[in-house]
Amino acid sequence: MSQIALIIEDDEDLANIFAEALRGVGFEVEHATDGKAAQEKIRNEVTPYLVLLDMHLPHISGAELLDEMKADERFAGTTIIITTADARMGETYGDKADFVLIKPISFVQLRDLTARLKPNP
Amino acid sequence: MKYLNRFLSVPTSDPDEARRGRLLNILVLSNIGGALAGLLLIFIDSIWGLQFNDPETRVLLVGALVASLGLLGIYRMNRRASTRLAALLYLLFLTILFIFTDNPEELSNGRSLFIFVLPITISSLILLPQASFLFATLSGGIVAWLATSIGQPVNVFAIIGFFMLALVSWLSASSLESALKDLRVINADLDVVVTQRTDALAESLNRERIEAGRNQAILNSIVDGVIVFDTKWNATLANPAIRGMLELPLEMIVNKNFRNLIEHPKLSDHSRKLLLAMIEHDTQPFNFRIEWGEKTLSVSAAQVYDLRKEGNVNIGTVTVFRDFTHEAEVERLKSTFVAIVSHELRTPLNAVLGYAEMFREAVYGPMNDKQVNMADRIIKNTGRLLELINDLLDQAQMESGKLTINLSPVKPSELLETVHGLMDKTASDKSLKLNSEIDENLPEILIGDGERLQQVLVNLVSNAIKYTANGEVSIRMFRSDYAKWGIEVSDTGRGIPHAEIPHIFETFRQVEGAATRTKGGFGLGLAIVKQLVNLMNGDIQVTSKLEKGTTFTIILPLVIP
Repeated sequence: MSQIALIIEDDEDLANIFAEALRGVGFEVEHATDGKAAQEKIRNEVTPYLVLLDMHLPHISGAELLDEMKADERFAGTTIIITTADARMGETYGDKADFVLIKPISFVQLRDLTARLKPNP
Repeated sequence: MKYLNRFLSVPTSDPDEARRGRLLNILVLSNIGGALAGLLLIFIDSIWGLQFNDPETRVLLVGALVASLGLLGIYRMNRRASTRLAALLYLLFLTILFIFTDNPEELSNGRSLFIFVLPITISSLILLPQASFLFATLSGGIVAWLATSIGQPVNVFAIIGFFMLALVSWLSASSLESALKDLRVINADLDVVVTQRTDALAESLNRERIEAGRNQAILNSIVDGVIVFDTKWNATLANPAIRGMLELPLEMIVNKNFRNLIEHPKLSDHSRKLLLAMIEHDTQPFNFRIEWGEKTLSVSAAQVYDLRKEGNVNIGTVTVFRDFTHEAEVERLKSTFVAIVSHELRTPLNAVLGYAEMFREAVYGPMNDKQVNMADRIIKNTGRLLELINDLLDQAQMESGKLTINLSPVKPSELLETVHGLMDKTASDKSLKLNSEIDENLPEILIGDGERLQQVLVNLVSNAIKYTANGEVSIRMFRSDYAKWGIEVSDTGRGIPHAEIPHIFETFRQVEGAATRTKGGFGLGLAIVKQLVNLMNGDIQVTSKLEKGTTFTIILPLVIP
């Protein structure tokens, strides 16, 4: 089973921190810094096991990416975690995702959560 | 008839005299007419028969002429001088004239005896009611004199008859006069009443006109649009401002049912629902916003009661429309601004927090105790900054009226447990005891906003812990009366100076004093607490004693599901 975690996050620092947490629990991390790059990745390259999805993204919004993934059979087994600073976003799209994390997201929390989600090797 | 009246009337203000004068004029003028006709006949007869030399004709001619002139004199006297004198002269003239109408035998005791009846009866009507006795005496005297002069016995029965007649005409004339007098009194009373009523009506109409004018002037000068509806939601009144606001002619608003306006295509579907809800459940005061074309209008509706009627009868609704377009736009911008700012602040804060956690978790290699401690401090301060940002966001939402209360069944015991669980560690970290107590009179389930109540309690309890160095912090839930319940948060802290108490719920203010400042915080928490409590239709009170402690008491309406 894929060990890939895709981080879709336009803020470089947050992407770094999330990546560090996910690597810490053993994921292979892919990163997209905007909506367009993320779309290309999910269409052509990878079928991640886990996606950290920021909702405010340049070019293509997180909501659009979410819909696209939900409509694609390939992502049926993918855990999608919304990461947003806007609690209302979380309320609106929460049903479509597996988890919603409201920023600021604790490194420790994220590490503990993803450790639980990680597939057994 | 009008022309004839001018000849018959007598200039006087006394209605009795006018009546008598008029009657006299009718008699006199008809007599003059008769005399002139007689004169004409005699004249024609004389020309025909050339009998001017006949002494009898001459006497008749002269008599008729004199009678006409005399009667004319009486007529003038009646109109210019005294009616009574004219009447007396006319009656005397009549009586004396009758002496020459027949021979003494017939006059005193024959066919012409009845002729004296005329002045007797007429005198009661045109002179005085009791004047009939005078003329009965006079006529009786004349009849007696005539009889004596020709050597015949006096007809005593005729004279008694004259007096009987005088009595009857006196009675009928005086009863007529008194009836007329009564009628005049009634008329005069009626006149007074009518005048009073007319004056009162005129005054009240005038007052109403002034009042209506003033009301209209007030309405016209208001920049808000106003429509007044009756109980059936028919618009009875509207001001010019509403015309500009809705961009509709007043004829399409006034005297129309509100439903016509609600059907207007400019109104958004959501707004239509709100307005329909307002007119269908018209029991409460309303305040909401509607979208009309490009405009946002705020609508306030207030029921009008007629306090003069028993039981405060509802007589309609006054609705005030205010153009809220600009404010709504500002609010939208503000809300967007707050969302952006909060996002922009949270993201770097998240980075700070994440990196600090990575330090503490020794992601890049082992750290010494001092380094771990510093990372802890960074994490703690980041937490405080975050709290402030959340408060600011709440405050901004509250100011733009976006913060709402969602009512649902709440278990007070569960709420108390949650808050206790959340705050227990913070308290024990400072070696403080956290007590919680619940009054057994409090219903197990009541209606409230659990989330907001928790926010309020966490805020109050964390404040209490922050300002208490040793001792305890207590939370108590209780029922204050049949319609209210309360929550009390008390501490054994250093208390709030008396002078500061009125200001503690203000935005951006904290208790003065160097010691306070080191504790940090903006005092925004209490302002939000108060606003939330007010949103729940509740009230918050504070009592405090320096160095003894502070108690916050929240009283909320008790609604049982």
